[in-house]
Amino acid sequence: MSIQSRSNPSDIPHMSDGQVWDQAFRNHSIHTCLMEMVLSLQQAVADHITQLATRHQQQDLVPEEQGHNQPIWGQEALLGRLMFQMVNHLQFGATGGQKFQPPCPSEDSKGDVRSREQAQVSKQIYKIFYQLTNFEDTSINYVLSNRGVETSALYHGSFQDYNTYQGNKYHEDKNTSGFINLGTSENKLCTDLLTERLSRSDMNYIDDDLLQYSDWRGQPFLREEVAQFLTYYCKAPAPLDPENVVVLNGCSSVFSALATVLCDPGEAFLVPTPTYSDFVFSAHLYAKVDLVPVDLESQVSDANTHPFQLTVDKLEQALLNAKLEGKKVRGLVLINPQNPLGHIYSQDSLMEYLEFAKKHSLHVIIDEIYMLSVFDESITFRSVLSMESLPDPNKTHMIWGTSKDFGISGFRFGTLYTHNKEVALAMSSFGYLHGISGITQYKLHRLLQDREWIDNVYLPTNHSRLQEAHRFITNELKSSKIPFLSHGSGLYVWISLRKYLDPCTFEEELLLHRRFLDKKLILSCGKTFMCKEPGWFRLVFAATPLLLKHAMQRFYTVLVEQEQDWVVKQLEDAINQEVEDLPASDASQSYSREVILTSGLEGCCSDLGL
Amino acid sequence: MFTLPQKESRKPTTCPGSVSTRGLHSIYGDGLEREAARKPDQKLLYGVGDPTAMFSSDSPHLSSRGSIIKWFWDSAEEGYRTYHMDEYDEDRNPGGIINLGTSENKLCFDLLSRRRPRSCVDVGDSAGPHCEGILREEVASFLSFYCKSPAPLKPENVVVLNGCASLFSALATVLCEVGEAFLIPAPYYGAITQHVYLYGNVRLVCVYLDSEVTGLETHPFQLTVDKLEMALQGAISEGVKVKGLILINPQNPLGDIYSPGELREYLEFAKRHALHVMVDEVYMLSVFEESVGYRSVLSLEGLPDPQKTHVMWATSKDFGMSGLRFGTLYTENQDVATAVASLCRYHGLSGFVQYQMAQLLRDRDWINQVYLPENHARLKAAHTYVSEELRALGVPFLSHGAGFFIWVDLRKFLPEATFEEERLLWRRFLENKVLLSFGKAFECKEPGWFRLVFSDKAHRLRLGMQRIRQVLEGKSQVAEDPPSCQTQEPRGPHR
Repeated sequence: MSIQSRSNPSDIPHMSDGQVWDQAFRNHSIHTCLMEMVLSLQQAVADHITQLATRHQQQDLVPEEQGHNQPIWGQEALLGRLMFQMVNHLQFGATGGQKFQPPCPSEDSKGDVRSREQAQVSKQIYKIFYQLTNFEDTSINYVLSNRGVETSALYHGSFQDYNTYQGNKYHEDKNTSGFINLGTSENKLCTDLLTERLSRSDMNYIDDDLLQYSDWRGQPFLREEVAQFLTYYCKAPAPLDPENVVVLNGCSSVFSALATVLCDPGEAFLVPTPTYSDFVFSAHLYAKVDLVPVDLESQVSDANTHPFQLTVDKLEQALLNAKLEGKKVRGLVLINPQNPLGHIYSQDSLMEYLEFAKKHSLHVIIDEIYMLSVFDESITFRSVLSMESLPDPNKTHMIWGTSKDFGISGFRFGTLYTHNKEVALAMSSFGYLHGISGITQYKLHRLLQDREWIDNVYLPTNHSRLQEAHRFITNELKSSKIPFLSHGSGLYVWISLRKYLDPCTFEEELLLHRRFLDKKLILSCGKTFMCKEPGWFRLVFAATPLLLKHAMQRFYTVLVEQEQDWVVKQLEDAINQEVEDLPASDASQSYSREVILTSGLEGCCSDLGL
Repeated sequence: MFTLPQKESRKPTTCPGSVSTRGLHSIYGDGLEREAARKPDQKLLYGVGDPTAMFSSDSPHLSSRGSIIKWFWDSAEEGYRTYHMDEYDEDRNPGGIINLGTSENKLCFDLLSRRRPRSCVDVGDSAGPHCEGILREEVASFLSFYCKSPAPLKPENVVVLNGCASLFSALATVLCEVGEAFLIPAPYYGAITQHVYLYGNVRLVCVYLDSEVTGLETHPFQLTVDKLEMALQGAISEGVKVKGLILINPQNPLGDIYSPGELREYLEFAKRHALHVMVDEVYMLSVFEESVGYRSVLSLEGLPDPQKTHVMWATSKDFGMSGLRFGTLYTENQDVATAVASLCRYHGLSGFVQYQMAQLLRDRDWINQVYLPENHARLKAAHTYVSEELRALGVPFLSHGAGFFIWVDLRKFLPEATFEEERLLWRRFLENKVLLSFGKAFECKEPGWFRLVFSDKAHRLRLGMQRIRQVLEGKSQVAEDPPSCQTQEPRGPHR
């Protein structure tokens, strides 16, 4: 169970595809091929073991038989370790033996396309390397446990870009050539307001209580404040109870702890995809809970009246498939307003999803962390806490935090509201591991309490600045005919760059992502959101106009280059085909494909009223 | 000479090989019956903790691990909850409960709040590494100075997170697979059981120490390599894979300090068996008897296995700021540092708290000239008062001039040497409005020991001791036949 495939963010589609194998054999040494085989073997073993473990969990075992689980665990650990070692040996051999160079983000990747052949080769190698990124840090290591090795690798695979950015940030005066980060969803438009508010004298209070151990669920004064705050802003029909509030250091921690108390290892949550990548991460790292994707599609059809629409049918289907695969699904994770789509669920749809969950006795975890970042006045957001009668209140758990709505992600504050006392108590144990400083709790309490400042100063300013930034970005995207989704909430737009990918694969998506990095621009690619369709990117617009302008310049430079390379490639292909004396069927095929692709996107645009 | 008992006698459980099953009763589950069933000359040497054996009720809303986690909360928080509902306050609630159970230093709040930190408001950046970088440097230089390390410690070996509980959780996860274990000498700070279990699903194998001084031992509850070896072998024979050893130095609840010689022996033992050693030095600056001569493991020249030695420290105890949530790991092992840092996403602390911590740790003048001397003087005075009270009561106790607590031997006040009686006595204290911690919470295998925290203001201590006296004086008349326990005279600060 230490090697999960589905909920692993840096996972890519399997290499089992025969063509890839053949290609690889022709182009590469035995080392590379061996490496792939080992990887497949490892996956097979991992899957097998997961199945074994799941079966054991499902059966009602008499105590003596439970003892047999232990050898399996042991076996798993041993096999896992062996595999890691083999991969490492081979990787080392390959690196020494031939030019197995991992592509480096800071290097100029134009080299890849200097010659056609070289590009082809490096792409293949890249593909293999990408599969190996999970193991890049696993130098033969007896010090860490398998899960420790995996944690390190997963983290560094996922946060490499972010760390690069931290080392070389853009600054309008001091470092104009630094990285611009439109990948991390942070609101940087109102730091002036927050800095001023947090510098006022009422914030600098310290007393004995704040320095001592407090209630592990959070200081009572903060939980009371949170209950009142949510009652007011979520428009709860009745006052919310502070006893149902749990306060921890961030929503990732809340999700991680909640997943742990609701699921046993290997059990799963349904999650409509694309979805916020951090939940994928949080489910995996500590809790070892799987996420079963409910794949949504951009194509509009009878059943799909808008792109990426979530329907109960799709939920039912995903649940059924998961059951057939032997997965035990314990809950459904919803994000509203949605991240990365920017959707808002209508009250009716929300009710349908909740009824679906009730029917299958699933928990519903609903993350409303962008609830105050709905900047389009014409849109009505309804919190789940505003509903008069929840279908299954004991299994409905709401998460909120100040990171996005107040742009203070550095504060580390997240909260859970649940009607289920048992869940609230079980969560309390995690106060030890995810506790917040008493001083921070005090400041948050003051901040949330200042309703007048929030309503009259902060929210209006924040919304108008978000609107402005959003208008700028959407105008830019429209004028360059880039399709996007956005619904007047959140800090980001979900854009489609499919027409710049040829072929339209996740490898190409990643290469394009790397190209942005080469130009010092960070975006998040769809793969990290578990999006099923390659070519989507999330672009965060909650930044100052100047920064956005610079960012868009870099953005266009990359797209122009990408297009030029595509043209060159088309020409080369045509020439090659003439040389091989083949009819131009391939060229016409790719032409027609291009037409379909574009028209599909136009459909998508028009649906959005673009 | 201390002789090893026969193998049978140190088997606390029935079926070797069956691990992590509910059939396997640990010392948690049926310690009482086993305690009673054992012949008097046999010693219980170790016990494999198994949290799954501790609870029985399943919940329709929680996962099975969720139910265990809730059990932890329900059981551990009982006293604390009662206390919170009826806290003592000089003016508002003079009849409320005095808390001598939670190990907090309440003597120096005036010093801390007078040293008002300058405020830094930087709201953004979830990871806040700009602050974190500075803080890691400060921690490295702070530890180099106060741990007297032979060479300057390196900032890249420092990981900062929100408290030592988080560190135990992260270390358990990155060093062990599910179901593997750490050795820990017992009695120990009981919350560790929960910390390593919650996410890590790692268990603790207790190395039981007892009050009887035998063979070459020089003091009660002495940890010896023999005991470590036996516990390790015992665990192995049960099929439990042990990955490390947890040491707390200064020890909690014993107040023991390991000499450099002892420390080295334990580290050599660990190296022999390729075990990690986690040394929790959270009380290192709370050694208030100068003559004790405390040595941090970071001060040792030539550690036996530096790559597997991991040191933990926090400001909770030494700076009396448990509510601030700051803990740190020092390890030369980059793999461990990186892996723990990977989990910091879940154990982060606010950017401005990081900033304030850096300011505090940098303020060497204030720490050396104001805080530490004053803190030590106040601890010493409080300690003197409480130990004299205990002597006057004729109550034996252990205390070594470090930490905030005294390990008190109330065995003679139990009509029967059982944990039920221990708990009854604890309740009687609570009913008389004074909260203590009982030995079972520290996995002490002898019923009747209590931890009494003395780092509190004089008026609360006086009242607390009065209430303890009332219970014991009422109680001691009931106890007709005190068990034949040797009386430990408090060990002077000569060690």
